[in-house]
Amino acid sequence: MMNILIPVLIVAGIGILAGLGLSTASVIMAVPVDETAEKLTEALPGANCGACGFSGCAGYAAALSKGEAKVGLCPVGGKAVADECASILGVDAGDMTPKAAIVRCLGTCDNTSVKMDYIGVDSCAAAAQLYGGMNSCRFGCIGLGDCARECEYHAIELCNELAIVDRNLCVGCGKCAKVCPKQLIEITDRKPAAVVMCSNRDKGALTRKVCKVGCIGCMKCQKNCPAGAITVENFVAHVDRSLCTNCGLCVENCPTHAIQEIF
Amino acid sequence: MAKKTISMRSASNENSAAVIEETEETTELINTATAETPEDTEGADNKEKTQAEAEDTSLPEAATEKPAQAEKKPFAGGTFADAMKRGVILENPVLRLVLGTCPTLATTTAASNAIGMGIAATLVLICSNTVISLLRNIIPDKVRIPAYITIIASFVSIVQMMVKAFAPALDESLGIYLPLIVVNCIILGRAEMYASKHAPALSALDGLAMGVGFTTALLCMGTIREILGAGSLFGAKLPILANQPILFFSLAPGGFFVFGLLIAAANKLSKKNNLPVRNGCGDCPAAATCSLSGKGGCK
Amino acid sequence: MNMIRMIVTIILAGILTNNYVLSKFLGICPFLGVSKKLDTAMGMSAAVIFVMVLSTAVTYPIQRFVLEALGLEYLQTIVFILIIAALVQLVEIVLKKYIPALHASLGVYLPLITTNCAVLGCAILVTEDFGSAAYGFGEGYLYALSCAFGSGLGFLVAMAIFAGVRKRMEFCDIPETLKGLPITLVAASLVAMSFLGFAGVVHM
Repeated sequence: MMNILIPVLIVAGIGILAGLGLSTASVIMAVPVDETAEKLTEALPGANCGACGFSGCAGYAAALSKGEAKVGLCPVGGKAVADECASILGVDAGDMTPKAAIVRCLGTCDNTSVKMDYIGVDSCAAAAQLYGGMNSCRFGCIGLGDCARECEYHAIELCNELAIVDRNLCVGCGKCAKVCPKQLIEITDRKPAAVVMCSNRDKGALTRKVCKVGCIGCMKCQKNCPAGAITVENFVAHVDRSLCTNCGLCVENCPTHAIQEIF
Repeated sequence: MAKKTISMRSASNENSAAVIEETEETTELINTATAETPEDTEGADNKEKTQAEAEDTSLPEAATEKPAQAEKKPFAGGTFADAMKRGVILENPVLRLVLGTCPTLATTTAASNAIGMGIAATLVLICSNTVISLLRNIIPDKVRIPAYITIIASFVSIVQMMVKAFAPALDESLGIYLPLIVVNCIILGRAEMYASKHAPALSALDGLAMGVGFTTALLCMGTIREILGAGSLFGAKLPILANQPILFFSLAPGGFFVFGLLIAAANKLSKKNNLPVRNGCGDCPAAATCSLSGKGGCK
Repeated sequence: MNMIRMIVTIILAGILTNNYVLSKFLGICPFLGVSKKLDTAMGMSAAVIFVMVLSTAVTYPIQRFVLEALGLEYLQTIVFILIIAALVQLVEIVLKKYIPALHASLGVYLPLITTNCAVLGCAILVTEDFGSAAYGFGEGYLYALSCAFGSGLGFLVAMAIFAGVRKRMEFCDIPETLKGLPITLVAASLVAMSFLGFAGVVHM
């Protein structure tokens, strides 16, 4: 009988001791928990992308509950999350426009050419340090996929050695834009407008030599635009999205098809 | 010279008009299927048979290990065959879920050890799943994990004593890995994910299925490692191989190596490239200038 | 001094010849899971060393003075795992309260370590290797603690090396079938092979 009783008592004793010890410890050494921050962390999407500028959703929630941050900083959650956070905090949400990324380059391998055989680390950042990359156009997309790897939503695809963002999947967190060594990715609002898909700041003749669809700075778009939304600077055009009416005239008139309508 | 390209597929919708709700769904689909963890898909039907052919050894055991009984018990959660198929092929705890790697690598130097380990773990799995499922409404949520661990530890102790009594040779060869069944991720994982939410009968069945899957995977590895590393099978020396065993496979590095190749084989056999493909060139910003745009788009 | 020599031998053996990850296959799950980046690998290893030494420090006397004294060795598994689980929980609570910075960096890994083969394995192995059969309590206790420390260090060394290897593999052109876990395991086998070269270096 004692044979059974003693081990049972020992194991039960250890269990009870552990249980009591842990419960007293968790009471004595309790750390005050910020209730608001907890609720906010639950409301936030939990992607921990860092687009808000804080170290993950928990960091943003902590800053919000202390009043150190504004409500609408989360592009992933968008307006819905901003509203929820606002209601938890009891403040006004303000406006939040949904955003998406676009790669301002059309340099597929048919449209451009290579100036060297690149055999090295499979990364755009690495290739860019070797004479600006293996493409003839030194401003264009290298196509080794740093942005695609960075994107947590799998919104970027590499097609014909050009990075293409699927704007339906993109949440506008901006991580890809930070990673692109050529700074080709722009985070824009989702309003349908024209976008100049070229970032080549060389003279027109040079651009033409390296890319079939590059912007040559001919200013046809600028002259034709009824809203005056286009300016040409440094031999490359740029569309002011707030003025663009999406009439499509610039797209028709561009001799190199460098301007596209983006939704 | 071909340049290096990496292509990742992006999800697209059925129709080119973007609908935010649909993309959130597909985003979720993609987020659950990351590059590291293998996806759960409708696996290949003859994974066992083709896997046996893919390896350069004859593995009659592996093919027949898959239970042939198609006894259909009308459970709410599915039939017996369904559960078995899930445990052995679709969600094999070792090769697909990559749980319980420590005993897999350590006890598969010989096929008999592998079977012994597998059976011990299966016993513990069935018993612990049943008991945890019976107690699932009583155990408070906060002390859930310690309670599960206690229950599992009790059954492991029982199995340990049984093995010591009835198969002391197995106890010698398994060594410390027998008590380490307690911290086997498979058992705790299944307890947490399945047994705490389903009826005892279903949990026991799930335990059996996972255990059989575990044993099958262990047996595969054990057979390969024993044949190549010691030139024997279940202790019986094989004609040519016994004279020139490749010691590498019996040692630690060989374990990692064979395990890696088995997982590669499992991935290859079950992957049906189910990452969604961009549907045509409709919404691609580069469509107007891309040479592939008339011909069905990229890949 | 014999004892110091023994302790150094034990620690070296824990790192080189009896490496818990690469020779004994204990702690593979965190090894494969956390070794992608060097800083997470270091954090995990630090947590493992800490928990290993602490749990050995508590379980070794219990094995000697409670289980063996009363002839209850069969309770070893249950008692050890209960103690380890409770201990890790307690450590987490204490850290959270008194050293929040440490909790922020290490705290994530502590629950992972509770059900880690390495910690329980270490606790059981030291009772076998340095148990009452061969050593008195004081000596055995010291050796047990140094064995736990050495094994933890071995874990750290293995993790550090492997994190470096994995970082290098990130930019390699890997065949589709082998991407992800398979090539990681093959790399682990090569690292394990290199550690085989240490066999026989340390005599215990």
